[in-house]
This record gives sequence, structure tokens and C-alpha cells, in this order.
Amino acid sequence: MFNKIKGNFNTQTWVLIPIAIAINIAVGQIVVLLKLPVYLDSIGTVLVAVLCGPWAGALTGALTNIIWGLAIDPNALPWWPVAFFIGYMAGRMAQWGFFKSWWKVAVTGFVVALTAAVVSTPIAVYIYGGITASGSSFITAYLLQTGQGIWQAVFSTGFLVEPVDKITTAMIAFAIILGLPKRTVGGYPKPEQVEVEGGSKNELYIALGVVVLLILIAAFVLRGILGG
Amino acid sequence: MPERLSFHIKRDSALHHLNPLTKLLLVLTLILTAFLAPFYWTPHILAVLFIPLLSILGKVGREYFSTAIRLILPAATFLFAMQAFFQPVGEEIIFEFYFLDITRESFLFAFSNAMRIVVMVSAFTIFLLTTHPSELMSDLTRRGLPGQFAYVIISTLQILPQMQAKAQTIISAQRSRGLETEGGFFKRAGALVPLIGPLVFGSLVEVEERAIAIEARGFTSKHVKTSLHEIPDTSTDKLLRWFLTALILASIGLRIWLS
Repeated sequence: MFNKIKGNFNTQTWVLIPIAIAINIAVGQIVVLLKLPVYLDSIGTVLVAVLCGPWAGALTGALTNIIWGLAIDPNALPWWPVAFFIGYMAGRMAQWGFFKSWWKVAVTGFVVALTAAVVSTPIAVYIYGGITASGSSFITAYLLQTGQGIWQAVFSTGFLVEPVDKITTAMIAFAIILGLPKRTVGGYPKPEQVEVEGGSKNELYIALGVVVLLILIAAFVLRGILGG
Repeated sequence: MPERLSFHIKRDSALHHLNPLTKLLLVLTLILTAFLAPFYWTPHILAVLFIPLLSILGKVGREYFSTAIRLILPAATFLFAMQAFFQPVGEEIIFEFYFLDITRESFLFAFSNAMRIVVMVSAFTIFLLTTHPSELMSDLTRRGLPGQFAYVIISTLQILPQMQAKAQTIISAQRSRGLETEGGFFKRAGALVPLIGPLVFGSLVEVEERAIAIEARGFTSKHVKTSLHEIPDTSTDKLLRWFLTALILASIGLRIWLS
């Protein structure tokens, strides 16, 4: 166990982590400036998780939120476990070979989104009583008004908001890795996790198909939750 | 744009002279008491009375109040409004506005919750105002925190402002080439790639060089490193830490005992 964690960290990992944290925050701010309806504040976390391993990704995620909370927006602080598990899950998915082609990356994004929704629910409920300071709380408030239980309402909101954000994040991270020189990628602990397979242009269309399918499944499951 | 992301203000006060770990424990105690103590008024007293007094003791009163008014108060007010309107608890309606209503319970709940957040944030603000980040890190390293963690925190604080400045440069440069960052959704989404591409690739190419540079300075060396600055840890510090630990245990104990 301990050696496995150690295997995530070489000097290049330690150098990448601060840069990844800065990427998370800077890109998050660019997205706010462009007024896009996503966060994209974990691209750096996913990069570290995929190139170095789940524990390095988890550390990057947690530190991002802690530093963001202390230095810029205090509301980011209580969410560090969410970022921790985003990094961890992205790393695990990459370990299982799900970061090698566009559609697999979309699946990774979806699984990461589910993890984020599950982990953020108790935090939103216990610390904020369900209504947080983010814009998506209007959905929660609406669901609460329609008579949903608080856990259901908060979880469904996460389930609605997260997949689009995390699938986009994973795909941008993949595009970045594709653009990096092989020599640079080779210096990180887990370069074999991002060896691209397939590689034809059709891959991208398959990926889009998978995304649409996942969103349909999500909508279906969500209806099940809301109905029950 | 500051060279380094740090709120630290160099003054000569009792709070500045405390050991960083003691101050960190003080912050933790404040937060835990605010969230755990079973008395309704605990967070309010901490936020309105104790923390302002602490900031004056640390001679950073002016800076603290300006941060509180600029950042903490608006965030807390927004949180309060959201929760007061949307918490579906309680029957007795005390305020109505079209379909929105505030009940007595939701009002009280939102108020104490906002106060807890105020305590959490202001405690950290005072900590950051009176503690230099490198001081904290060298003290924690001396106590056994791996040097790599210290490196990550300190260099993030250095890289972040640089990265934000770089992002600003890239945005201006791409705009001057005719990139539209306003307008329809697809235009804005399309602007994402030319903005984050140069930023991300530009910073990732530095990684290898940095890695070689710090490796050459003994980054992964197993030997104990000496420090140029000695950070004082007096007996007052130790006494205070025991006292704070006792307070934390007391508030947890009271919480369990009274609920």
C-alpha cells in the first residue's frame, strides 16, 4: 500500500502538482470570465491523476481547494474531499485503462462526475443544510419546493450538473496529453496509462455518441430517483 | 499584481510572535467550537466579539475589517439570503415576498449558519495576516512534515499570481488578434481553446527543467536539512496548545453529552 502511494511521486510529480493547482484555479477563472455554464476547475487534478496516479491526483485536488479557499474564495474550502475523490477516481480509471481513447475518456469523466455528486451531497447537507452559495442551488431549492427530501434534492442536483462539467474536463485533459511531447510524458510515473489506442478520426464521433448515451442514461436514472 | 500570494503583514505583536502551529491550532479550535458547541449563541459571540478582539491584539485590525467588509460579509449575506428563503423548515412565516417566504426556523438556522462561515473564514484571515507562509512551512517541516509538501504549498503560492498574470496577457493578446470573448454561447465556448491552450502548454513545458533544477539542489535527499531561520517555540506556546486542545475536547464532549 505505502509503496504504491510512493510510486505516484517522483520529482517531476512534485513539480507538476503546484503547476496543476495553478492551472485549476486559472482555468476556473477564465471559464467564469467567459460565462460558460461549467466549472472546469479540475483539469490540472485530472492531468496529475492520469500521469502520476490516483494518490497524486487526490493530493492535488485537496490542496487546490484548500489553497483556493484560503487565498481567493472561502466557500471553496469545505469541498476539498470532493476534489480529493475526483483526483483519486480519475487516477483509478486511468489505471484500469480508461484514458486511452476519446470514448473511454468520456466514460472516465462520467464516473468521476458520479463520484463527485456522491461525495458532495453529505457536505452540502451537513455544512450548508442543502443550500450552498453556488448557482446550482436554485435547482436544489426548486426540488425542495416540489416536496423532495433534502438528500434526494441535493443528490439530484449534483447528478444534473456534474456530468457535463466532468466529461468536458476529462476530454480537455486528454487533448492536452495528446499535445504533449512523448519525452515529457515519459518522465512521469505512469506514462503507459495514456498510450493512445485506435487513433482514427472516427473515435471522436464514437465519443460523442457515448456522451449522448450516458446523458440519456443519467436522465433516465434521475427520473427513477425523482419518481421514487 | 503581488509577486507572491500572501496576506502576511509584518508587525510586532503578541500574535505575530506565537509559534505558527499554536496559531493553526487556535484557528482549528475556533472553527470546531463554532460548529460543535451546543449553545445557539456561540458562533455569534465568536464572530462579533472574540475575533475582532483577536485582530486588534494582532495589530491587524484595520486590514481585518477591510477584508471582512469587502469579502466575508458579502459572501455570508448571500449564503444567509439563500438559506433563509429556501430552507423548507418551520411553519411560522415572518416575511413574505411573492412566492418566497422566510419562517422563524429558517431565519434562525440561516443566521447561525452564516455566522459559522464567518467564524471559519475570519479565523483563517487573521491567521494568514499574522503568519508568513514560509515561517509556517519551515516550522511544520521541522516537526516532521515531508519537505515535498512544503515545496508544493510555497511554490503554488508563487506560481499562482504568475499564472494569473500570464492568463491576463493571453486574453489580451488573443483579443487583439480578434478573438471574441463575448457574444453567443458557441462563440464563448470556442474562445476556450485559444485561451487555455497556450496557458497550459506554456506552463507544462517548464516542468522538466524545474525538476532537474531542484533535483540538483538535493530535493530528494534523505539527510536532515538545516534551516537558516530558527522559529521560536516558547513554553507559553506549549501551555496555550494544551489549553486549546482541552477546549476542543470540551466542545466535542458537551455536544455529545447534551444531544
